Parts: sequence; structure tokens; C-alpha cells
Amino acid sequence: MSRFDGPSSFRPALRAGARFSREAKDRPILTFESVYKSYRSGSPVLRGVHLTIERGEFVFVTGSSGAGKSTLLRLLYRSETVDDGRILFLGKDIARLKDDAIPFLRRNIGVVFQDFKLVPAWSVYENVAVALEVLGLPARLIRTRVGEALERVGLAGRGNDLAGVLSGGEQQRVATARAIVGEPALILADEPTGNLDPQLAIDILGLFEEVHEAGTTVVFATHDRTLLEVRPRRVVVLDEGKALDVPQGITIESDDHYRLPN
Amino acid sequence: MISLSTALRARRGMMREWRLHALSIFSLAVAFVCLGASLLVVTNLRALEDRWAHAGRASVYLKDNASAEDIESVKQALLKVSGVKQVRYVSGQQARLDFGANQQERASSLAALPAEAFPSTLEVDVVPEMTDTELSDMAAKLQKVPSVEDVETYRAWTERLSRLISGGVAASALLALVVLGAVLAVVGSTIRLALQRRRTEVEVLKLVGATDGFVKGPYILEGSVQGAMGAVGATGLLAALFTIVRGRLDGEFVTLLGLQPQFLPWYAVVGLVCSGALLGAFAAMGSLRKLVLV
Repeated sequence: MSRFDGPSSFRPALRAGARFSREAKDRPILTFESVYKSYRSGSPVLRGVHLTIERGEFVFVTGSSGAGKSTLLRLLYRSETVDDGRILFLGKDIARLKDDAIPFLRRNIGVVFQDFKLVPAWSVYENVAVALEVLGLPARLIRTRVGEALERVGLAGRGNDLAGVLSGGEQQRVATARAIVGEPALILADEPTGNLDPQLAIDILGLFEEVHEAGTTVVFATHDRTLLEVRPRRVVVLDEGKALDVPQGITIESDDHYRLPN
Repeated sequence: MISLSTALRARRGMMREWRLHALSIFSLAVAFVCLGASLLVVTNLRALEDRWAHAGRASVYLKDNASAEDIESVKQALLKVSGVKQVRYVSGQQARLDFGANQQERASSLAALPAEAFPSTLEVDVVPEMTDTELSDMAAKLQKVPSVEDVETYRAWTERLSRLISGGVAASALLALVVLGAVLAVVGSTIRLALQRRRTEVEVLKLVGATDGFVKGPYILEGSVQGAMGAVGATGLLAALFTIVRGRLDGEFVTLLGLQPQFLPWYAVVGLVCSGALLGAFAAMGSLRKLVLV
């Protein structure tokens, strides 16, 4: 059984002295309870979002530009804090985490961005290995695991290349390798295909599906409707600050309308 | 505790931005040269003060009309004083000859000086343990002897030198403050600039769960290395200048001051380098206080 073989192998990264609660295994990985968030008074981006995501799910989060997709994800990795409500990650309220606990939350979450967020002057290897270096793992183990991650994203043997000279698709693969190398419980993808052509976008989506098949929960934010049609999965539509949950997926009727299943 | 990862990341950062760091180290070296030079002056003045304070000698200037018997009786009386090692009579003529031997190029000018310019003396050697008070007491008693014109214990010179050293120490302290400011400003600016240039790196580190200590560690180490290297560079530069100056003026120093100039003692050099490292680390810590959280 490989380390990617499914939810049962999951153990979160914990702070020194913290104990892993076995009950956490049975809880939903994410629960949003009446979450409010606004950047300007009077115009909240999220208005009482309720949502539950179980472990091992693949969920698309969609909505028009400014609907709050990125905000939702930023709240998850505590780049932002909620104004009201609770977000529970394995039963723990993310908003109540102290500053020194945030790194340990992030070690359980892999994040992939539209703009890749790679260090251009670093090699592919260095960009991926950084996620393990922060854990203080031995160099030999880091080498092995980075090699495996690069192989999974189709970049085996490219470790010495500078990240800055790679194509967009390759850079997104490096970012994905960095997100999965630490075996996080949850992967957040914030418009990861936004800068890629349609075929590459489908390839990258396939990559996330492979990661998901290995047991990782994936929350994939996109406004690319074709991706939603290509893979009919659970979709959360953000509209006017509310989350509309569509478990069977949606189809696109026209440029402006989603058709929800009956 | 500095981990290997911190050291490697600091090394990588410094190698990638070596120009920025080299400029910073050069600026720090200039500041440390000023401090090092003042310390060097103070160190040598102290050595001079020490030498003079423990010169263990006094000169008893005799009146022109002092007879050989008077001189001999003073000499014998001095030899009986506890702490006096040796008493040597130097005639005025001998004094002129001795001085002329060291100032050969001015021999003609010396010849024109009157005989009173070189009085006969009794040069008294005392043990170094003899205190200033004991020496002063002896001088006071000697001045009451009719054949004695004056007694020079060289204490006034030592006191003047002490005042000069106090001034030098104060100047060094002031320079240390200037250097402190320079290190804080230079290292702080360099680290802030490096942080700005490596913003993406910091963002990535925070995203993958790096603690503040993990992110800041290499920058603090870089600041520390800059401070230490600045001090090392300054010490090297100062040593080179010192060697050149001493090579050309060594004889003059010995003639004028009676001792060879010395470079900074090893503990002062180590102190300078350690201070540089500590100041650099503190400056870096200060500039990282407002590290942007992602």
C-alpha cells in the first residue's frame, strides 16, 4: 500500500505536543457554518455560507468573477479570517487558531494558484522540496518524496530545471507537485487552469483527479464552465454570497445560465 | 540554534544576491575601520601609559654648583632607600653626547645650546612595584637637599597621557555608537531589500506551513554574517595599514615613545567580529519584525 492509498492513511501534521484525535477521522473534513466575510462594509462577499465537505470528495467551487471563490479558499488556509460564523477543519475552528498554529494548519492543506506561486530562481526540485523542508524531514527522504511527486505530475527528470523557464502547464504541474508532496489532507486549487489553454486545463484537471483518486480531498475553484461539463462532479455555486450545493453537477445552458439537475 | 537548512538557505540567498551583500559588507567594513582605528590608538596609548607608569625611574637634576661630595652623598642616601635598584650619575657633557647620538642631523644646532640645557643628573632606577606615593615621597625629600635643583618622576606625563586616553576612550565610545547606527541602518536596509526581492519566496514558505522562525532564520543569519564579515574586512584592512605604517615609522616610534606600536590584541579582534555578528543579527531581527503574513 503506497502512502497515497486512501483516506485511512491520513494523519494530520500536528504541532509539537498536540495529540491526534481519532474522532477527527469520522468528522467531515470541512464544515462551513453561517460564514460571513466582507471587505467593505455593506457589501459582504459571503453571506451566511453553509457547506459540508466529506473526506475524499472532489468538489468544484464555481461562480462569476467576484462571487467569493478565492475568498472562500483564503479563509480555509487562514490568509483571511471570517467576520462571523465558523469554518471547521476536521472539527477544529480555523478562525480560532492562534497565529503560531497557522503553519501547522497549512501543512495539512496543499494550495495551487492560478499564477502558480513558484520561485522562478529556484529549480523545480527546490520549489517542490520546500514543502518538506519546513517539516524538517531528512534530506534523503525529501529527495525520494520529491522524486515521486515529480513523477506523478509527469515531470520526472526535470528537477534541475529552473522553474522560471518552464511553460505555464509545466509550472502548474510543479505547483501541483508541491501541493501533494507533503501528503496533505486537503488540496485547494484556486483557478489553477485560469492561465492555461483548454487542452492543458483538462490535463491539469486530470492531474487533480488522479490526486483525488489516491484519497485526497480536492476543492477546485474555477469559473471555467467547460471543466464543469467535462467532469460531472459535485459543484458548489457561489451566488450573491450564498453557496448553492449541486451534488450531481451542472450543465451549461447558455453563456449566462447554469442548468441545475432536477 | 541554527539548523543546516537555515544555513543552506542563507548561503543560497547570499550567493544569489552577492552584489547587494558585498556592498553592505563594504559599507560595514568602512564603519568598523573607524572604530578599529580608534581602538588601535587607545590600545597603544594604554601600552605607553603602562610603560611610563611602570618605567621605574626618576631623574634628580643637580645644581651647577653641586660638589662631587654632595653628589656622592645623595647617591649613597638614595641607594639606601627601599625600592631603589640603581643610581647612575650622568654629567651634563654626557647628557649632551647621549642626546646628540640620537639626533645626529641636528648636531650643529645642539652645539649652539648653552651648558645649562644639559644639567648633571642622578638617574634613579626603582623597582616597578614602587607606588606613585612612595616615589612622590622620595622626590619631596630629595627636593629639600641643597644640591638638588629638581626631581622628575615622570608622573605628570603619565597623568597627561591618562587624560589623553580618557579622551580616546570617549571618542571610541562615540564611534562605537556611530558604528552601531551604521550597522543597524546598513544591515536593516539590506535585509529589507532582500526580503522585498524574495517576497515570492517568503509567500511560498508561509503557504507551505513554514513557521516565522523558519522564514526569518536565514535573514537573521545573513545579517549576522554581514556584520561579522564587515568586522573581519575592517580588521584585515586595518592590519594591512598598520603593517605599512609600522614598516616605515617603526624606528621613529621607538625613539619617540620608547616602545613598538602593537596591533589590536586577539581578544579585541574577536570582540569586534562578535559584536559585528551580534549587531547584524539584531539589525536583521529588527527589520523583520513586520514580516508580512500571508
